[in-house]
Amino acid sequence: MSVLEIPVEKWTGKIQEVRLGGNGRKSIVVGGESTLPFLHFEGSIPNRPAIAIEIQDTEPTDWSPWLLSTWGDAVKSPVTWAKKAVEYGADIIALRLRSAHPEQGNTGAKEAEKVVSEILSAVDLPLIVLGPDVAEKDNEVLLAVSEVARGQRIGLGNCIDKNYRTIAASCLANGHVVIAKTPNDINLAKQLNILLHELGLPLHNILDDTTTGSLGYGLEYSYSVIERLRLACLTGDEMTSAPIICTVGEESWRQKESKVIEGIPPSWGEHEERAITWEALTATSLLTAGASIVVLRHPKTVELIKKISTR
Amino acid sequence: MIAIGESIHIISRQVRAAIDNRDKVFLQDLALRQVEGGAHWLDLNIGPQRKAGAEAMAWLVNITQEVTAVPLVLDTTNVEAIEAGLKACNKPALINSTDSTPERLNALTPLAAKYNANIIALTLGSSGLPSTVDSRLALVLEQILPAATQYNVPFDHIFLDPLVLTINGNQEQAMQAIEAIRYFKQACEPPPMTICGLSNISNGAPEEIRPLINRVFLTMMLGAGLDAAILNCLDDELMKTLRIIDSDDKSTPESRLYLGLYNSYVIGEQFDISTVDMDNAELRDIARTIQILQNQLLYAHGYLNT
Repeated sequence: MSVLEIPVEKWTGKIQEVRLGGNGRKSIVVGGESTLPFLHFEGSIPNRPAIAIEIQDTEPTDWSPWLLSTWGDAVKSPVTWAKKAVEYGADIIALRLRSAHPEQGNTGAKEAEKVVSEILSAVDLPLIVLGPDVAEKDNEVLLAVSEVARGQRIGLGNCIDKNYRTIAASCLANGHVVIAKTPNDINLAKQLNILLHELGLPLHNILDDTTTGSLGYGLEYSYSVIERLRLACLTGDEMTSAPIICTVGEESWRQKESKVIEGIPPSWGEHEERAITWEALTATSLLTAGASIVVLRHPKTVELIKKISTR
Repeated sequence: MIAIGESIHIISRQVRAAIDNRDKVFLQDLALRQVEGGAHWLDLNIGPQRKAGAEAMAWLVNITQEVTAVPLVLDTTNVEAIEAGLKACNKPALINSTDSTPERLNALTPLAAKYNANIIALTLGSSGLPSTVDSRLALVLEQILPAATQYNVPFDHIFLDPLVLTINGNQEQAMQAIEAIRYFKQACEPPPMTICGLSNISNGAPEEIRPLINRVFLTMMLGAGLDAAILNCLDDELMKTLRIIDSDDKSTPESRLYLGLYNSYVIGEQFDISTVDMDNAELRDIARTIQILQNQLLYAHGYLNT
């Protein structure tokens, strides 16, 4: 009887190891693998995928009631929220500066500095800070945050083709990690990495956000972009070697399958379970594609994904 | 290979204005400069021209023939304008183009027969852009060649165009187009002609790297058996690459690399860049571009800067 031989691919490339935190604060390293996700028999996978829990600097007005009831009053105070996220098992706190959005408060550098300082003193997990996703405002608040968090090696996003110079220069000066965001396009993802690298930013200071599509809303595109970037990197293309971060919670909880609670056919099942499953399936799929960090919203999803990622 | 000058094209504002204003001097000069640059034939693109297409095409043919004897390529979707151009041409022309739908084939193939013209047939059916060699070949065998037979157009008057897509966004398609050329040449007896619009491969890429992508892709296509290309005959470096291959010119490291690339595609093999001297910047840029076109290195606008 012949024994089945498992085919093993020989890769030449390796994903960058990117560290967040350290310097007195807890640190986490993502990336570093020399094979595709979960193929432990084929190559080295030194670090498990990390889970970031998303919190916001202001009480969310558009979040699902299932999220709001779970977090309770914590959503009213970013510091309380961050502490609670630590309890729920986050590896990283991902703070979204929602109030800096021109239509949702238009707060500025001062407010951003304040909330980030408070969170940095209140919790010792690595931090990611995301702007309101409006390039000019992102520049304003992220530069301030970069200064105030100097040496804490936080992740700063989003850095896009319009503002990459400013954010990259500030990350370089203050020792932070750039989150480079591109719109679901593998060629543009590589190009932004090249541009950042040309500015002198070492590759181990870059995370790529290639844009997340949730289950039913473009997941297959995100999957394909991540998978192809991983394959390009493993075949030796250094400019595609940044670990990938996916904003899973934000995308899956905005869909009607997670959000709508009235007029739903009974066959859709229990609402809260469906919404959590939506987030968990999106996260699992993207981890299988090769994502290194998933940013989640519901503690139950965190628990589910942790089970998978630590196996 | 037949080099077809692409520059008389409505997409250029100056050309559009010259056609609209019947500016004979500008267009005749552009025609002559392309012929001096090495164009064997000239493409005349007047755009769709729904209203005065026939008159515009006949005029353009006539003023071009006043200054040069090269054959002409009639480039418009307006069937009436094509026929007006065919009537005006004093030697067999090339119709540019029909796609693979019965509607266009039935409208244009009879014109090719009636005027003893050649015709470009794009492997583009009703279901959108072809994605594989097989789907392109299926259109040739099931649509284009039967139409040629039905309307009595000799197979070697058919110029099959695999449709070149941009490297930026359709990277895997470059090799499909190259392999399609190889298969097209074996599709019938006598073999059909093969052609492509070369510049589209680099459409969307930064202007400064477009010529390099065009040169490398042309070399690969020639190796696979390309008979004609619509290209920029005012691009000296591109025309020099053509001459290197035509004359088997081994005089420089660069020309030897282009010949090596050409020869691997002649025997149907991908080019192995491991023997290229990567310390020579010019050779390294060519090698990187080969990797991009062979889909071995992911395209990004800055791929040469890494």
